[in-house]
Amino acid sequence: MKFLRQFAAVVAVVAVVVLIGLAWSHLAASLPGEGPTGSELVAQGQPVKLPPGGKLPPGGKLPPGTRLQRVGTRVIERNNGGSGAPSLLLGDLLQPASLVVLRNNAFLEVVVIAAVVIADVGYRRLRRARRARTSLPR
Amino acid sequence: MSGSSTASPAGTTSHRGRRARVAARTRLDFWLDAVILVGYTIAYSYGFTGVVIHEWLGIGLGIAWLLHLTLHWDWVVRTTRRLVSPRGHDKLIWLVNLALLVAMTLCVASGIAISRVALPELGISTLQTPFWFRLHALTAEVTVGLVPVHVALRWRWIAGVGRRLLARRPEGRPR
Repeated sequence: MKFLRQFAAVVAVVAVVVLIGLAWSHLAASLPGEGPTGSELVAQGQPVKLPPGGKLPPGGKLPPGTRLQRVGTRVIERNNGGSGAPSLLLGDLLQPASLVVLRNNAFLEVVVIAAVVIADVGYRRLRRARRARTSLPR
Repeated sequence: MSGSSTASPAGTTSHRGRRARVAARTRLDFWLDAVILVGYTIAYSYGFTGVVIHEWLGIGLGIAWLLHLTLHWDWVVRTTRRLVSPRGHDKLIWLVNLALLVAMTLCVASGIAISRVALPELGISTLQTPFWFRLHALTAEVTVGLVPVHVALRWRWIAGVGRRLLARRPEGRPR
């Protein structure tokens, strides 16, 4: 019963945030960071800057069966085998080129975690040292 | 990622029963949090997963995240009430968690709004407007920055529970 009550509270909070998002999309449909900066082509984890308009540079070619998908200011390349259907080939997951994306994200998270842990340990040591210094000698 | 939830009262259960329950709850918290962290890292790697896995994983993460929030709702209420008292660390964690709540909610909601595979497969039409695409990209980037901070702020609890979980149990002791 307690779980259900708490779940209802969580759903209510989430609903409020979603409603704020909906209101935002209706009232002021612009987001921070928007601007005429051109688009990015994300191909196997390596972003390539595209000129404004999101077109490939002269001479630039995409592999067969690949199309561009716009995601915000980004254009993401997905290879769908030319079938028009989104790709779901599990073999693709084990391609070293695709794994680079996952590895980079995991690395980024580990770096942030390490930085926060080091900062936390340093802060606690500093506080302990300060407390020891200010405490009266017995 | 809050370890405080393990302090929930066990009511009328015996001392031994309470200990077992707390351990089970701690295990649930630990493994659910680990699954969400790994799941989010994989889901964020769009170039690795492709759209289908990205969308279904995102929906699954949304459900897991609702469960995570429900399990730690006691902590949310308790810390929100205590915000007036000058405890810097709790305040920082609360602020990070609030930002993460907003970012993650909008990320999942905008992901559902722009779904090209999962929801249409269920017969639900989606919005597909540029605003929701941009919001999804923006909130995903904010979330990927906040998730490791959220994890790291609880590193002592994670290290403690991880050490206990990975330690060899004495023979004959029930799990």
